[in-house]
Amino acid sequence: MAPMDRKVFSNIKILDLTEGIAGPYCTKLFGSFGAEVIKIEKPNMGDISRKMGPFLNDEYNLEKSGTFFYLNTNKKSITLKLRSKKGIEICKRLLGKTDVLVESYAPGGLAKLGLSKRVLQEINPSLIVTSISAFGKTGPYRNYRANNLTSSALGGAMYLMRPGTDPKKKPVVQGGFQAEYTTGLLSYIATVAALIGRTDTGSGASIDIAAMECVATTLMGHVAEYSYLGFSRRTNPFAIHGYPIGYSVPCKDGWISLTPGIGGAPNIPLLIGKPELQDDRLFTRTQSRMAEPEKFDALIIPWLMNHDKWNITAEAQELRLAFTPVLSAGELFDDPQLNARKFFDETSHPELGDVTFPGSPAKLSKTPWKSLRAPLLGEHNKEIFCRYGYSQAEIREWRQAGII
Amino acid sequence: MVFAGPVATKILAELGAEVIKIESRQRPDVFSRANVYPENAPGNDPWNRGCLFHSLNAGKMGISLNLGVQKGREIFKRLAKKSDVVIENFSPRVMENWGLNYEQIRKVNPRLIMVSISGLGNYGPLRDYYMYVPGMEGMSGMSHNTGFPDEPPLLSGCAYGDWIAGANASMALITALFHQKATGKGQYIDISGREAAICHIGDIVMDYTLNRRDRTRMGNKSPRYAQGCYRCKGDDEWIAIGIETESQWRVFVRAMGRPELLNNAAFASMHRRLENQSELDPLIEEWTSQRDKFEIMETLQKLRIPAGAVLNMKEVNLDPHLKKRGFFQIIDHGSDIGKRPMPSQIPAKIRGCKKGTLKRAPHIGEDTEYILGSLLGMSARDMNELEKEEIIGNLPVFPPGRPTRLDLLDRQQAGSIDPKYLKELGRHYGVGIGPDEDQ
Repeated sequence: MAPMDRKVFSNIKILDLTEGIAGPYCTKLFGSFGAEVIKIEKPNMGDISRKMGPFLNDEYNLEKSGTFFYLNTNKKSITLKLRSKKGIEICKRLLGKTDVLVESYAPGGLAKLGLSKRVLQEINPSLIVTSISAFGKTGPYRNYRANNLTSSALGGAMYLMRPGTDPKKKPVVQGGFQAEYTTGLLSYIATVAALIGRTDTGSGASIDIAAMECVATTLMGHVAEYSYLGFSRRTNPFAIHGYPIGYSVPCKDGWISLTPGIGGAPNIPLLIGKPELQDDRLFTRTQSRMAEPEKFDALIIPWLMNHDKWNITAEAQELRLAFTPVLSAGELFDDPQLNARKFFDETSHPELGDVTFPGSPAKLSKTPWKSLRAPLLGEHNKEIFCRYGYSQAEIREWRQAGII
Repeated sequence: MVFAGPVATKILAELGAEVIKIESRQRPDVFSRANVYPENAPGNDPWNRGCLFHSLNAGKMGISLNLGVQKGREIFKRLAKKSDVVIENFSPRVMENWGLNYEQIRKVNPRLIMVSISGLGNYGPLRDYYMYVPGMEGMSGMSHNTGFPDEPPLLSGCAYGDWIAGANASMALITALFHQKATGKGQYIDISGREAAICHIGDIVMDYTLNRRDRTRMGNKSPRYAQGCYRCKGDDEWIAIGIETESQWRVFVRAMGRPELLNNAAFASMHRRLENQSELDPLIEEWTSQRDKFEIMETLQKLRIPAGAVLNMKEVNLDPHLKKRGFFQIIDHGSDIGKRPMPSQIPAKIRGCKKGTLKRAPHIGEDTEYILGSLLGMSARDMNELEKEEIIGNLPVFPPGRPTRLDLLDRQQAGSIDPKYLKELGRHYGVGIGPDEDQ
């Protein structure tokens, strides 16, 4: 086999009982690194994300959701009614040859289906079970309801989403579904850790991961400012770093984000064509700047408003200033760096046509990433069920009974 | 250094890896070592007292080694020979200039995995852009989609872009470790924090791909149902609430004491409520602003409505759920700093894999002697010589330790200060928190 064809997880089988965003993002990573991911979906309905937009041409259709597509590349889809005796029986047969089960039921949901920890252990003692939920299987909030917004609130990340110039403004959630992606990513890392452990011990593991905690990890050391100083930040404060981090300023065609002050600040007057200000305390002393952010802005914004973001960036970078453009999703497709690195993947899909979508979050030289499309609902029923020893007649029968 | 690389290796350290962090006395990890000292006192060794450093480097060993000189680089290569992984987050040209890029290091150890983390990646026309977190978030599309409509793109308050870069580096690294264990082969991993951030807004990018619709900031709104963040009783208190289904709407209006809203056609379906959210939000806020956020959360959760109080850093530290799940580990930093709760970077509970208590973050050069001695077999005399040549050493070149300007924090309202934090934490965790004399 050619070395480039060999994927990291070629011998690993994942049974994916998740839906939405966090769980599917975890299993997408596995699929992209070569594991066979078999996704079990509800007959006729499928993963909830099939009902989430954006839809191609805004046409509501289970096969036309961009969110589902993005989160389920490199997977196989089978349909199975798990709330039926037959459905669970089939699922158990699949589990016998599965390395990792990833699930996102509410705590206790799996046991209710008849797949308790003991049952799973009996079917397959080397199975790794990764359970992804909002709050985990233990603790006082375990039965609470949640979504991306409320998990971001309880995990602490939302409180400090305020501009430095107006720190008591209403908090705002980070764009998209950050609580979900964060949880999916950490679920993947924990699951690979368990797989590495299994190669030594041969025994399975179970993993309990909670979105609220995953959000709280993104606070990093900022959450420890409370235990060192009694401090709860509302924003990225000027007064700690001596310069504002987390700062966008307007320019002619949009916005620039900048970090003035880590090196290079005396060059700002050169950028804005006012070399006489090079010795001004505002540019030489971070303390002066942090005490008077408005004065600093008033000096640089008029110049920025006369220039385009990419031109400003090019000139500022020459002067070793950390100025960069704020880009929209659409502008990413014209970005020379992303194009040179072939960041976007392309494939075609029976319903969506040719699709360009974000590729690998990391470039691994020996074990590159796959970029196959997401499956249609139940597309792999025949392939998978036949492989597990079921006959065409049985499959027909299940279809009539609404099991698949 | 700083956040991204340390996040990646903190995850590995929590999972049981032996992590050796290299700094030098000439170039210590200043940004995170020099930030937020216990009780705002930099002390005589400020470089060993910073809370950002402590939280991301617990469980690691620390050595000092000057890679700016040939002799230091030779020692580095000897360490690389005995390691499974080398990870760095310098600007792309630094390791190259030192003769320590992957091609050069793999000659020493072919099974080595090397990870490079940077803003825009290790190759490409813009790779040398000078940038920090605002650049990664700003150039990914994330900032453009974060904030309220008609207001500036909002960058994160917690260096989220750095976290994404570090956590994705850890993702790639652990994947490569699995491969290394199976095949004995190493590889090179190139992480662009900006690219990793794009992967975390994939659903937004898809709207452009499929429909050429270039989305922008939408505050706290969901594209699917009414949700929002509402002011509660008190100063700067908030709650996030989502009304996802019809049955949730029915019980919600009753909980607010406004059953007549069920007859209001403007709110008669998920779609209508989303359309008319600007009329709905003030009605909800009228109710929430009279009440405590935790009380509202409990009331609504009993009705099976997703509601979450917006926790501040104090409340995260003192949260009963996080306590029960052991999210914070109490780590002892020695008599003058004492025990402090430190957050996990990989909060998964893995049955069959026990996590021990992590050792506190290393002082600069704390483990140099042990590592160079035990791993490389160097003698005390060798090390004395290295110290004389300033290749190793525990006394860093460091800016004077400055306390945080509490007056400015207060004037700019950048956060709140709770003077009783040590007592609160002590009561919550049932152990003395802080320096010995306070116990």
